[in-house]
Amino acid sequence: MGELIAVQRSGVHLDLNAEVGQYLTFIVASERLAVPIEVVKEIIELPAITRVPMTPEAIRGVINLRGSVVPVIDLGARLVRRPIAPTRRSCIVLVEVQAGEDGQVLGMLVDEVKNILEIEREDIKPPPSFGATIRTDFIAAMGRVDEIFVIILDVDQLLSIQELAALRALSAEPVAARVEDGAA
Amino acid sequence: MNLDSARQAFAAEVAELLQSMEDALLALEQDPADPEALNAVFRAMHTIKGTAGVFGYEPIVAFTHAVEGLMEQVRAGEIKLTAELIAALLECRDHTDRLVSACLAADSPEAELAPDLVGAGAGLLARLAQGRPSSASSPPVQSKHLPIGRDLWMISLRFTCDAFRHGIDPLSFLRYLASLGELVHVTVRLDPEAGCTPGFDPETCYLQFGIGFRGDVDKPRLASVFEFADQDCEIRILEPDSAHAKYLELLDTLPAEQVGCIGELLVRIGALTQAELERALAIQSAEGGQRRIGEILVDQGSIKPAVVEQAARVQAAARNRVQEEARFIRVDAQRLGHLIDLIGELVTSSAAIRVMAKRAGIEALDEVVDGVDYLVSEIRDQALQLRMVPIGDTFSRFKRVVRDAAQELGKQIELVINGAETELDKTVVEKMVDPLTHLIRNAIDHGIEPPHVRIAQGKPSQGTIALTAYHDSGHIVIEIADDGAGLNTAKIRAKAEALGLVRPDETLAREEILNLIFVPGLSTKEQATNLSGRGVGMDVVKRNIEALRGTIELASEPGQGTRFTIALPLTLAIIDGFMVGAGDGQYVIPLAQVVECVELQPEQGSGRHGHYVNLRGEVMPFIRLIELFGPGRSLSSQRRESLVVVRFGHHKIALVVDALYGELQAVIKPLGKVFEQLKGIAGATILGTGEIALILDVAELAAIATEQPLMTRGVGAAV
Repeated sequence: MGELIAVQRSGVHLDLNAEVGQYLTFIVASERLAVPIEVVKEIIELPAITRVPMTPEAIRGVINLRGSVVPVIDLGARLVRRPIAPTRRSCIVLVEVQAGEDGQVLGMLVDEVKNILEIEREDIKPPPSFGATIRTDFIAAMGRVDEIFVIILDVDQLLSIQELAALRALSAEPVAARVEDGAA
Repeated sequence: MNLDSARQAFAAEVAELLQSMEDALLALEQDPADPEALNAVFRAMHTIKGTAGVFGYEPIVAFTHAVEGLMEQVRAGEIKLTAELIAALLECRDHTDRLVSACLAADSPEAELAPDLVGAGAGLLARLAQGRPSSASSPPVQSKHLPIGRDLWMISLRFTCDAFRHGIDPLSFLRYLASLGELVHVTVRLDPEAGCTPGFDPETCYLQFGIGFRGDVDKPRLASVFEFADQDCEIRILEPDSAHAKYLELLDTLPAEQVGCIGELLVRIGALTQAELERALAIQSAEGGQRRIGEILVDQGSIKPAVVEQAARVQAAARNRVQEEARFIRVDAQRLGHLIDLIGELVTSSAAIRVMAKRAGIEALDEVVDGVDYLVSEIRDQALQLRMVPIGDTFSRFKRVVRDAAQELGKQIELVINGAETELDKTVVEKMVDPLTHLIRNAIDHGIEPPHVRIAQGKPSQGTIALTAYHDSGHIVIEIADDGAGLNTAKIRAKAEALGLVRPDETLAREEILNLIFVPGLSTKEQATNLSGRGVGMDVVKRNIEALRGTIELASEPGQGTRFTIALPLTLAIIDGFMVGAGDGQYVIPLAQVVECVELQPEQGSGRHGHYVNLRGEVMPFIRLIELFGPGRSLSSQRRESLVVVRFGHHKIALVVDALYGELQAVIKPLGKVFEQLKGIAGATILGTGEIALILDVAELAAIATEQPLMTRGVGAAV
C-alpha cells in the first residue's frame, strides 16, 4: 500500500491518451503481473479473511469491506495452484467484474503490490501460445517495460464469476483436473 | 405533486380496482345477483373512468364508460348477467389493464394507440352489446314516457285551516305545477279533522290534494313550487321509482369527501329538500334526539326507506374509507428497503458497541448497552413487520388462473384458499408468484383429471386445488394440494432412464423417483401443453424457492393427488440466530430452527457406531461440522463438543459443534454470485467484532450429509 502511495506522489498522472495505458503491477508467486488501472477500485492491507467451507482453494474466503461481504480470490491458487502464504506485504486488490446484469466487487489476494506502469501501445504484444507459467486464457497480453515482459491479466477470464462458481472443492476431482489441464 | 408520481398512483389504484373487479366477477359467477359484487364491478369501472379523465386518457374513458353503462343496466335488472357476459367482462377487465399500461407508456395522453388494441376494445364492446335487450325498443332509462304508476311523483298537500285567510290559493299551485309537466291524476279530499272550529266555515280550508305528477323535474324544483305555501301547508313529495334508482346511483358514486351527515347527503343528491330536512331536524331535537334522522324522514313520508338505507350504507362506507386512509400510508417500497438496510447496520453497530463495552469492563455501560440492544431488536421487528403483507392477495389472483385454465381444458376445478391472512415479507411474496403459478398450472393441467375420468373413478366431477398457508417454526409454509391423478412414478422413471439420469437396474425409493421431477429437462406429459410448458418448469421452481432460502417437498399418491409443501423464511433481511463455533469458524443457525443444545458424551460422538446418537431414546443423526467443513483441520478429541438439535420441515438432525456462543441478531448479507452453487451456507453476517460468521442452511447440510453418508473429510458440495 505504501508503495502505491509513493508511486502516486512521484507524479504519475492519468494520461487519457489511448496510446499509453496505465497498469497496476503486482507479484504473485514471483511473477510480475499487471491489470489495467481502470478495473482497480481500491487496494487494502490484508484483513481477517473468513474461509468459506466446501469451496476450492482459489476462493480464499470473504472479508468485511465496510459492512459488505466481499469474496477474495487467491491469485496464487488460481494461477499456479499454490495458495499464497500471507506476509506483511500481502495485499488485496479490489476489482469490479461483470456478473450477469450487475457488477460484483471481488478481492484478489496478491503477494505484493508494486507500482503503476505506463505502457505504450506499441509495447503491448500478444500472449505466447505456450511457455507461460499460467493458463494462457488468463493472459490478455504481454507488456514490455525496459526489456522485461510483464503479464497483463485478462480480469474477466481470471475472475469469471461463472467459472469461479462452478469450481468445486478439492474432492470434486473432475473439475479440478480440468483446471489443471488448462494450465499448460 | 409531480406527474410521474401521480401516474404511478393512478397505476397502483387501477391495479387495485381491477383486482377487486376480478374478484367480484368471479364471485358473480357463483351468484350472478350478488349486489355487492355488482357494485364493485361498477365502481371499479366508474372510478377508473373518472381518474383517467383527469389525466385525459380518452381511450380509457370511452371504454370504461361503455362497460360502466352496461353494468348500470345490469344493476337495474335490465340485463341478465350470463356466464358469457361475465367472461366478456373479465376480458374487459384485462383490456382495461392493457389500455392503462398503453396509455401510461405513451408519451402524451393524445398519443395514438396501437390499432390492434383499439380493435380488441371494439370487439369486446360489440360482445357486450349482444347481451343488451334488443335495441329496437329504446332503453328504458332514456324513455320520456314512463309507464304509469312507477314513475310518478306523488305529492300530497295538506293545507292548514288558515290557508285561505292567509291568502293562499291552492288552485294556483296546481296550475303552476301543471306548467312544469303533466298532472296525471289529482284527488281532492275534504278533511273534517282539519277544521279548527266546529261546523263548516267557508273561510276555513278543509282541502287536501293527492297529486300524481309526471315531469322532468327534481325534488328541489318541485318543492320550490310550493315554497310560497310552506307556512300554511304540509307538503310531502315522494319521488318516482326511476328517480329512486337515480338517487341510489348518485349515492353510490358520490366522492367520499362529499359524504357528510346523512341529511346533508340526501339534500345533496336532491332526494330531500332543505325544508324537509330542517323539519325533521326540528322533530329530532324536539324528541330529544331519540330517533335517527333517517327514521324521522321516512315517517314524514319525505323519502323512501330504501334510499335512506342506501345513504346510510354509503355514509358508513365513506367513514370507513376515511378511517382506512387515515390508518394507512402508502410508502415507496424502496424507502422501506433502505430503512431496513439501515436498521441492519444499526444491529451490527450495536453489536460492536457490546463488544467494546465488554472489553472496557464498565458495568454501568453494560446496562445501557442492554437497553440499546432491546430497542434495536424492537425497531428491527417493527421495521420488518412493515414489509409484511397477507399472502391472500397473491392467492386470490390464482382464482382467475384456475378459472381460465379449467375452462380452456374443459375441467371443473375449485380453488380452496386457507390461511389467506398469513403474513409474509413482500419481497418474498413477489418472488413466489411465478413458482406458485407454475405449480398451480401443473395441478390443473397434469393433476386434475377431466370430469368423465373422475366420475369413472368414483370421484366428484369437480376437482379441488387447495392453497394453504401457515406459520411453522420461523417459516411460512405454503401447500399446494390437488385431488387429481397423482404423479405416475413409472413414467417419471422411464423418462429419467431415457435421459440417462437413472440406470435401469438402480433401485429407487418412491420418494426419490418423485424428486426426479425437479431435475432439469424432465416432464411427465408426452405432449407439452401451452399451460405448463415443456417441462422446463419444475427445476426452475425449485431454484427460485431455494434462492429465497426455502425448500420444496412433494408427496403424491396415485389416484389421490399431489401435494407440494414449500417452506420459506419469513424475511430475507435480518434473523434471530444462534451462533456456534466449529474449528476456527463461527457459524450462525437460524434460532427458529434450533430445538435444543445438549452436551455430547465423547464415547457417543466417536463415529465408531455411525453418525447418530441416542437422544432420550430417539435416534438422532448428526453432522460434525468440522468433518464436513474441513479440510486440513485436526479433529481435536480433547475438546468438549456439543450437540445442537435443529429442525427443518418434519425432520430433526443434530449438528456437532465445538462451542456455543449464544443468540444474536444476524443481518443476512448475500455471499454473492461466486458462491451461487454453494450448498449448506445461506449467507454471511458481520459480527460486532467486525468478523464474518457464515449462516448455515440446515436443510441443505442435511441433504449433503445424506448424499455422502460416510462424511469423509472435505466433502464436495455436490449438484
